[in-house]
Amino acid sequence: MAASISGLLKPWTPSVFLVRWSRYNPYYLEPEVSKEAYSRPETELSAEEKEQRELKALRPIKAATSGVTSSVFDDPVISKFINMMMEHGNKVLAREIMTQTLENIKKKQVEKYHKASEGEREVIECNPYTIFHQALENCKPVVGLASIQKGGKYYQVPIPLTDNRRRFLAMKWMITECQDNKHRRTHMYEKLSQELLAAFGKEGNVIKKKYELHKMAEANRAYAHYRWW
Amino acid sequence: SQNRVKLFPLAHVDTTHFYVQVMLHKCNLMILTCISFQACHSEKHLGQYYTLPSAHIRTLFPSGLPWRYQQQVKTFNEACIMVRQPSLEVISYLKKTDYSKPALRYLFYGQKGTGKTISLCHTVHFCYTQGWLVLHIPDAHQWVKNCKELLPSSYNASRFDQPLQATTWLRNFRLTNERFLSKIKTKHRYMWTKREFTEEGSLLGELVDQGISRVKSSSDVVGAVMKELRLQSGQPGSDFRLAVAVDGVNGLWGRSTIKKEDKSVDPEELTLIYNLRKLMRNDWTGGAIIATLSQTGSLYTPKSAYLPQELLGERGFDSMDPFIPVSVPNYSEKEFESCYLYYMDRHWLQHPQSRTEEGKKELVFLSNRNPSMLDRICGFL
Repeated sequence: MAASISGLLKPWTPSVFLVRWSRYNPYYLEPEVSKEAYSRPETELSAEEKEQRELKALRPIKAATSGVTSSVFDDPVISKFINMMMEHGNKVLAREIMTQTLENIKKKQVEKYHKASEGEREVIECNPYTIFHQALENCKPVVGLASIQKGGKYYQVPIPLTDNRRRFLAMKWMITECQDNKHRRTHMYEKLSQELLAAFGKEGNVIKKKYELHKMAEANRAYAHYRWW
Repeated sequence: SQNRVKLFPLAHVDTTHFYVQVMLHKCNLMILTCISFQACHSEKHLGQYYTLPSAHIRTLFPSGLPWRYQQQVKTFNEACIMVRQPSLEVISYLKKTDYSKPALRYLFYGQKGTGKTISLCHTVHFCYTQGWLVLHIPDAHQWVKNCKELLPSSYNASRFDQPLQATTWLRNFRLTNERFLSKIKTKHRYMWTKREFTEEGSLLGELVDQGISRVKSSSDVVGAVMKELRLQSGQPGSDFRLAVAVDGVNGLWGRSTIKKEDKSVDPEELTLIYNLRKLMRNDWTGGAIIATLSQTGSLYTPKSAYLPQELLGERGFDSMDPFIPVSVPNYSEKEFESCYLYYMDRHWLQHPQSRTEEGKKELVFLSNRNPSMLDRICGFL
């Protein structure tokens, strides 16, 4: 109820503050964590950004979540992936797995790099972060399927997906694939690094799953007009 | 191109080495690949890396290097160690000692992850290149915990044998010191069982083979090998110097978690530990004892303990006294720079932000210039 039109409402803070939930009064602004955003001088900013800065001086700001850091090595995509891997709130373990995965990918690529000849070296990508981002990009589906009821029957209708939904599906498929379909005696970081390297090269089970989804959507193309949004 | 002139101090000393380095390493960083190892060990090269030949790694350190360092060697296809003050100090003492006097004991101590084991390996490699006989115990803590087989000793009824650990150690010893096995002869006669014995004057190699093939008496063979080497080094007839290198020496005087019929076994009752303690006494000449303290593998010691007094305990300190303590600190600024440049050269730091000034400052802050923390952090960056 309090989260209605922010213009009419005075800025208020409840006496008991539920910091762990994200139900803030919309009057509160998002925190800006990176140091470089504040180091830009006045002259470089456009009119809107200047307005935004002045607003920040007046309005209250939401508390930053514990997942964001002001470190230069902070990456929102990696944080999201760590959160998705986390079980029972064990962020320490999820983060450990992620760092071990990145180290493992880098180790394999750097070993390959040092053993390769001069000509092959330019092709080998050693940065685990670019590999991770590229692999996720390769796994993102373009269209999805929605179950729509028409005339008593349910049809699988191809629909466009938002960016967030695509990223979520790519990450979810990657994690479930590594948890379910691999040999049980390998560590998670080993399984993940193998799957990420395969996805980087457009092979592997996750890419196959994405292609199957695309094929289903292509097959059900006739029902596309059942979508009304 | 400016760096190329600045970072090769060897250029004014020996031009042949300079040209060889430029050919071998096209990058202009503080790395040097030396042909002669003696040239590598002087104060001029503090902070620089020197490469260990892979043949030496295979023979000298079948299991002596830390796990993460072994992985690094495999990834980079080379083994580079930074020349640091503690190991350089011990090497300079080793060069100047009078070997007719009793053996000196050097002890590397420091906080967790500062590079004690690597300093020990550096010193051991120096001894190896000088042609010494190296008696390297990779981790004394492995002998007082997780023992799968414990046999009552055949020699002394009150002691216990550890055949598995003894045979692994003998195999590694044979691999490291091949050339000495056919030269050194035993001075005593050893009876293993009623029918098996080793005659006086037989080769050390035969003694070691006896221990490896007859697993039951391997701990006693280890004791015999130690006794022979201790007696023979420093004698006028022998032409070798003995280097005893023990990692985690505080395990010899600590407690053990091995249980025999629900009763905890004291380290004194283990043959291997008993013989190793005798070797650590400075009643022999013609060599040196180099040791490292380690809290990480030790049993029943608090995590914050790192000083010799705390980790060795009363008995250990009295046995090791007098010794030369060598402190191994975290990286200095120059050493940190050198490590950073080495990782950059080996393409280990891949994150684009880690190559900026702010990224470097953040690495300094996160790792507190601790070598192992820096290694772990740079691992995923």
